[in-house]
Amino acid sequence: MCIKQVPDSSDTLAIDEQSGRMVFKPSTVFRMNRYDEFALEEALLLKEKFPGTSIHALSLGPERAGATVFRALEMGSDHGIHLVFTPGMYASPFITAWFIASYARNRNYDLIITGVMAEDDMACQTGQFIASFLDLPCATSVISTEFQPEGGTVIADREIEGGCRISVQLEMPAVLTIQTGINTPRYPSLSNVMRARTQPLEVIKIEESDLPERREICSGLRLPDSASLGTFISGSSREKAGKLLHILHEKAYLC
Amino acid sequence: MEKKIFIISEAGQDNNLQETCELISFARELSCCQLPTIILLGSRIEDQARELSKKTGCDTIAIMGDHLDLFNAQAYAHAIIDVLSSETSLWVCLPHTSMGYDLAPLLAVSLSAACVTAVDGIRDGTLSRSIYSGRFIMDIIPQTPTVVVTVLPGAFESLEPEIPLPGTIRIVRTHLPALKSRTLGVQQALHRDSTLKDAEVIVSAGRGVGKKENMDLILNLAAMFPKSAVGASRPVCDSGWLEYRHQIGTTGQTVAPKLYIACGISGAIQHLSGMNKSETIIAINIDPNAAIFRVAHICIVEDLVSFIPVFIEEMNNCSL
Repeated sequence: MCIKQVPDSSDTLAIDEQSGRMVFKPSTVFRMNRYDEFALEEALLLKEKFPGTSIHALSLGPERAGATVFRALEMGSDHGIHLVFTPGMYASPFITAWFIASYARNRNYDLIITGVMAEDDMACQTGQFIASFLDLPCATSVISTEFQPEGGTVIADREIEGGCRISVQLEMPAVLTIQTGINTPRYPSLSNVMRARTQPLEVIKIEESDLPERREICSGLRLPDSASLGTFISGSSREKAGKLLHILHEKAYLC
Repeated sequence: MEKKIFIISEAGQDNNLQETCELISFARELSCCQLPTIILLGSRIEDQARELSKKTGCDTIAIMGDHLDLFNAQAYAHAIIDVLSSETSLWVCLPHTSMGYDLAPLLAVSLSAACVTAVDGIRDGTLSRSIYSGRFIMDIIPQTPTVVVTVLPGAFESLEPEIPLPGTIRIVRTHLPALKSRTLGVQQALHRDSTLKDAEVIVSAGRGVGKKENMDLILNLAAMFPKSAVGASRPVCDSGWLEYRHQIGTTGQTVAPKLYIACGISGAIQHLSGMNKSETIIAINIDPNAAIFRVAHICIVEDLVSFIPVFIEEMNNCSL
């Protein structure tokens, strides 16, 4: 289970104009990427169906990301791994996947599950990169799964454009990236919360010198061009409502 | 030396020509003095390759095999790498669709390439992409000779080049390699709502609605308009506030009504691509920085829970 910690809302974020880097205001609250919540729930459902399954939850990120791994334990994961990494500059999904694959290699996982994308950078790459590095088959945007333990395969339905689905049969071990809506993520049970309290995380520090050569460099973040903004209607609520009504009449959207 | 540009195109898709033309527009921004080469994959695609090369003027490589009839990342990657293996410095462009993003990292690893996905802009070789649901833009500079890019549908214009000469066509036949995955079939959409397609006014709900009880506000507002329907962004359907047949966006339906009223929708790219062709877009959102205000024509910064009742009241007063 690969999970990412993301800011709860983009309201508390700003861009440092000099460096072009993201600044998190002190009020920023961090939580688990929603796509990963659905992925974790899928793993938990799998564990209920196939007793003996063990779930390892892993996150790569700065010190604060440990809290999100801990959350995964509270939700029912058996083991938590935190790859502590505070990059000096932008780390692309290629780099994240590189370290996750390095950890997973030789550990004989039957399945690697993650969210189809992260809410913050929306790249849709990490799972596929992990699969490529480990030479495993991969299905993205998975909206239903059916395991066939006898054959050592899994059938994954991928959600594609226009609400259609395409079914793929993968040999295990395999990588699945999960789409939202596949299940209903649970709240932590009291017993799991209690158990998690006593459970230490496996913490591995990653240094800048461990990095593979960067293939993508971020030259900075910026705000979108304000010229693209529409017309803002001003006034009190009632004034805005009145003006909007006037526009709708003018454009003949109301009879 | 200038990098050669290749465009990957999946045969048999309804909007294949439009997607390909958007990628050609993107390629023209990369290099104004060369037309890209199209790599078309599928089974029995001679006619489609001929039509593509005629309509776009691009040289077209048609890779054919029965196993390429339905998309499979491993089979597609294998076939594409076979064709590109002799190239050392190139751009490989795909649409940012379930095909494109599934395939891009796989190609990047095989080609030792940078991989930049969901690109919606380009300036002097710097690729830009929206992050945090369009709140910020990230500029990326690839560091490798070969670069794999997925381009957001709708980000570039779908212009067919002016009366070009047809490009050359090369047919490549491939056989099924040993793969660890197999595509079984495609199921058509379970949830289709023709009322969305036919509606002249769509009132759409986003996460900003807050809770299921507030959905009545959206339904009431929609009821004020003739020929109206109710839409939703994905999180609303995931939360069970509305059925998936109401979902608008990349994985839902694409609509273009006369009037689109987005209520509490942040404006994630996945949603915008399903509605940004609407004639007039009104956005109601409490967050003045929401990305939806960049596609909306009329922007109202208000909490929809308090604003919609006031607006409905004004509408009623007016019609008295």
